[in-house]
Formats: sequence, C-alpha cells, structure tokens
Amino acid sequence: MNQEATLTKPAAEQSESAERTRSGRCYRPSVDIVEQADELLVLADVPGAKGDAIDVKFEDGTLEIRAEVAQRQGDEQGYLLREYGVGDFYRSFRISETIDASRISAEYADGVLTLHLPKSEAAKPRKITVSAK
Amino acid sequence: MAFIPWKNKQQENERGALSPMVALRGEMERLFDTFLRESFASMNWPTWGSDKWSPAIDVAENDKELTVRAELPGIDPKDLDVTVTGNQLVLSGEKKESTEHNEKNFYQSETRYGSFRRTVALPDGIDTENVDAQYANGVLTLRLRKTAPAAAKRIEVKAG
Repeated sequence: MNQEATLTKPAAEQSESAERTRSGRCYRPSVDIVEQADELLVLADVPGAKGDAIDVKFEDGTLEIRAEVAQRQGDEQGYLLREYGVGDFYRSFRISETIDASRISAEYADGVLTLHLPKSEAAKPRKITVSAK
Repeated sequence: MAFIPWKNKQQENERGALSPMVALRGEMERLFDTFLRESFASMNWPTWGSDKWSPAIDVAENDKELTVRAELPGIDPKDLDVTVTGNQLVLSGEKKESTEHNEKNFYQSETRYGSFRRTVALPDGIDTENVDAQYANGVLTLRLRKTAPAAAKRIEVKAG
C-alpha cells in the first residue's frame, strides 16, 4: 500500500542543469499551451504548491518551472486510499526567439500556474499595405 | 519541448494524432495501478469518450479524524459540491475552461476539463454533521471527525 501512485502525474524528466536540493519524487505538471494573437499562454497544473514556492526561471533560451510541494500529512496516518503522490513539480521548455523573454510574466491561482509569453514584435502578424502607383 | 512550432503545420498534425494515445496511456496506467491495489469492483473505471474526468484522491485516517484530499487544480470553489448521504461522501463539480482561452487554438492540451464525480464510502463512526472543507492551492481537503466509539458494554454470563 505504500507504493506511491504516479498515474495522474508522470515523473519529471531530469535535465542536466537541474539540481535538486530535496529528496523525494518529482512530477511533470500537465500543461495547456494556447496561442493568442499577441502571446502564448501556458497553463500548468501544480496542485498543492503554494504561490511563493513556485520558481519560474528563464536562462539560455530555456524556461524552467519548478514548484515545491510540502508533504501534506505526517506519515503516521494510515492511508485507506492513496491515488496521487505528493512531490515537487518540474518542467522545462525551450523558447524560440519569437518570444520576448524579457516580458514573460506569471500568475498563480487555485493550483494553476499561468505564464504569459508575449510574442516579440517581429513575430506578430502585420499587414503590409501595398501602395499602388 | 519547444515553442517553435507555429510555422510548422506538420507538427500540429502530429500532435493532434498523438494526444488521444497519450490520454489512453494515462488511463491505462491508472487502470493497472488501481488494479494492483484495489479489488475489481471498487475500481475507478476510466471514462473514455465522455467529457467526464476523475480527480485523484487520498483518504487517510488517524484516531481522531478521517481526511479526504482531492487534487482539483483550477476549479472555482463555487463550482465544487460536497455532499454526505448516509455513509456516502460525494465530491462533484465542474472544471470550466476560462473564457480567455476557449478559442481552441491549443498547441498542447494535457489538462482535463468538464464535470467529475467521485464517491467515497465512509466507515462507521463518522460525525457527518460537522465536515470541514477547505480548498487551497488546487487541493480540496475534507476533515471528518470521528464520533466517540460506543463504550464496550460488558455482559455478564450467568452460570445456570
């Protein structure tokens, strides 16, 4: 019964640069990525993480999401059902130059981290007027 | 994973073909994992082909209370419904897609939306009148206190 359930949350792939300072399992958050006219929206499910325990880092064209999740209960409690494991979340994305990395912003509510990745001016669609002679 | 693909129509098709398989694999993993731990009848059968999904829950107990936790990221607490009928605890609700991104121009869609319902059979001796429910950071926590167990009554056996 002590086997941790990993079914709803796949384990995170470890990147070479990732250095973990905590033991325990690390999960890969599920994300939705939505394209909008002027930005990409990334919605990542990180249930159980507190807002101040989420670390979003952009370095060398890679965007990293790291969320620490505290153990929710002492291990002395007897489990009758244990469907999900508790552990940190980690996921990284490669960001192309069409994203203006300096203006990336993030917000967090109800277990969902929302990242706004604004498109750079060069990548935005623009209409070119044809001047007739 | 890269954020480059919006010029690449082919990649979009590949992803479209892949996502049902990824979803299927997730369901299969869940099914097998449950199979290894649960009896056949109490299995949480997958719900393919419907918009229903099923949140993962933990149920833990100590000598004072029973704690039920459900991972429900991105749900407005107003859309959560918790009811106790007899010894059945029912969690239901709906995860709504926010209006700002329901235009369906997804690059990647891994999270689940729609309604869900989970039923938990409660053991005897639970005070169902005073259930404490809290939703924080995408996790719903229910605390159900145990009532004091009926004091054991000793019955004297008379020798006839």
